[in-house]
Amino acid sequence: MKKALCTCGLALVASIALIGMPGCSKKSIQSGGDSQSTQGMTKGGSSDSSKSGVGSFPDTGVQSGGGGLQGLNKNPSEERVGSGTMLAKVDPSSSAGRQMDEMLAEQAASAAAGLRDVLFAYDSWTISEDGRQALNRDAEWMKSNPSAQVKVEGHCDERGTSAYNLVLGEKRAKAARNYLVELGVGANRLSVVSYGKERPFCNEHAESCYQQNRRGHLVVKTGK
Amino acid sequence: MTQVKLISAWFGGVLLIAGLFGILESGAADVFLEATRPDFQKISLGVAGMQNGGGPDWLGGRIEEVLKKDVKRSLVFDLVDLPSLGIKTHDIGNGMGTGSKAVFKQAAEKGVSVLVWGKTGLKEADKEADVNMEGFVYDSGSDEVVGGKRYTGSSSVVRLMAHRFADELVFRYTGEPGIARTKIAYVAEHGTARELFVMDYDGYDARQLTADGFLNLMPRWSPDRRFLVFTAYRNRNTQDIDMIELSTGKRWTVISLGGLNITPALSPDGNFLAFASSHEGNSELYRLDTRTKALQRLTVNPSGDLSPSWSPNGRELVFVSDRGGGPQLFLMGSDGSNVRRLTFEGDYNAAPVWSPRGNWIAYVCRTRREYKLCVISPDGQKRMQLTTGPGVEDSPSWSPDGRHLVFSSTADGKSHIYMINADGKDIERLTFEGTHNSAPSWSPAS
Repeated sequence: MKKALCTCGLALVASIALIGMPGCSKKSIQSGGDSQSTQGMTKGGSSDSSKSGVGSFPDTGVQSGGGGLQGLNKNPSEERVGSGTMLAKVDPSSSAGRQMDEMLAEQAASAAAGLRDVLFAYDSWTISEDGRQALNRDAEWMKSNPSAQVKVEGHCDERGTSAYNLVLGEKRAKAARNYLVELGVGANRLSVVSYGKERPFCNEHAESCYQQNRRGHLVVKTGK
Repeated sequence: MTQVKLISAWFGGVLLIAGLFGILESGAADVFLEATRPDFQKISLGVAGMQNGGGPDWLGGRIEEVLKKDVKRSLVFDLVDLPSLGIKTHDIGNGMGTGSKAVFKQAAEKGVSVLVWGKTGLKEADKEADVNMEGFVYDSGSDEVVGGKRYTGSSSVVRLMAHRFADELVFRYTGEPGIARTKIAYVAEHGTARELFVMDYDGYDARQLTADGFLNLMPRWSPDRRFLVFTAYRNRNTQDIDMIELSTGKRWTVISLGGLNITPALSPDGNFLAFASSHEGNSELYRLDTRTKALQRLTVNPSGDLSPSWSPNGRELVFVSDRGGGPQLFLMGSDGSNVRRLTFEGDYNAAPVWSPRGNWIAYVCRTRREYKLCVISPDGQKRMQLTTGPGVEDSPSWSPDGRHLVFSSTADGKSHIYMINADGKDIERLTFEGTHNSAPSWSPAS
């Protein structure tokens, strides 16, 4: 699978040719003197670059304008209309079933552990007093189950943009994680992930539902 | 305006949501978007029918219906109702005879600039799958039939024939390629998962692109329309930026740095990918050179920076930062230089997208806990709120001609996708199926 993708990427990179120099200057100003992690200068070396977290890129510049329009004609010749943008049939992925199995296993493990979630106020990622109490109990459980790995999922209500809510969800998840670390839980046993407003617990347009969705949700990780 | 009345008569079937009109903010009363400029003269155009010369009964009517909607959405033409002007369209025949001459004369007298008509039929009697369409154009300014088109294809592409002809009309009168053949990528709920889909710009022919069973979010097109970049949760714990090739379905990960990697946007020349990543702590903006793979960090700030959108010339980025508390729009050079704040009104401004014409930035603005669409000029001097009323609006995306936006809204309950003119008029709902449709991204013109 991965090999096939790399080959495809290489072929596409190899097809780079037409694009002229970009409009922007090449000098890279390092904002605020911050160190930057410059990746290898491999030309389409997808195997090298994928290790560093950057995959291969095809040439996506526009080759020609005009949109395939040929203009009106007094004696028009016949144009065949195809199906437009070709779209591949979606691959019925085995991943969907696996995701569902893993989610059910996580839910079962988390329910058995009795982990409590943290709820947040509108626009906020501050842990409330109720939230601290919930996390105190969670920390106790983690100390008495020293091999358990816990994931903190950050969630938001539907108000706000998808993108900003992913950042807000990450802030909420990290706030909960940081509090658990303060309580003495090893940071290496905790991971965070943000789902923004994309995995809501309920779907009504009402504050009672919004409150349920502004959440740091603690999940016992199963498997790897 | 009688014209407006005529149009709504023609398009009574199109869902226009009443009560949602553009509102000029204080101090912005002198703002005119292109399509509403007093000197912007739409070209009056009448469709004199598509005669069915064989083939399925619906063929001519279908093409005429799609063509008229395209003509109206182009905002280049004013679609006029010929019968209500007393023009007997059936006399037009093949456009050659004396009957057609009389129709042309009538149209010219009534101020109709362009007449369009055509016929449809089976390509060959024994090949039922193939249909054809001929379309012709009379221009009253030059008093001649300026030309036409002949299309053939399977009966499954008749909508595309009409779209193609509509784009030829726009091309003829503006030199622009038109938007009738553009696509919209978006996210739709599929069971408990959110997956990527692509549909025609008018909401038809939706196709599913991913089936991971979890989350794929916020697709954006490559400049050449061949790829989408998007936020992908490969499993439930890690989150990357992926790319998919539409024609093959091939898909691979382009950014997997760890942490949150979101809001990818390719530069107009395709040479850079701007995105937000939290792999060094909090969400910062980065720019990847897609040829050398050099990764440059653009922002350094303990707050969240996200949602970069390129200016049409690729020299600047507009983005969101909550460095002042709530999220606000900022501008900077595409190398991270010269950062300055753009929005000052309200405590929540996010999801900016720079118009392909360069003159406006659309975004989500919050007023009294309602999340609405706004536009602001890149110099910050002009600002306008485009939508009002209940519902959370999100993820605006410009049409390639800069005359429309698509966005998601919960105004009708569930999240669905809508189109709106850049001046806030003519809201049209595009999706009706399913439990959740969001994050629309309008393709470039072909």
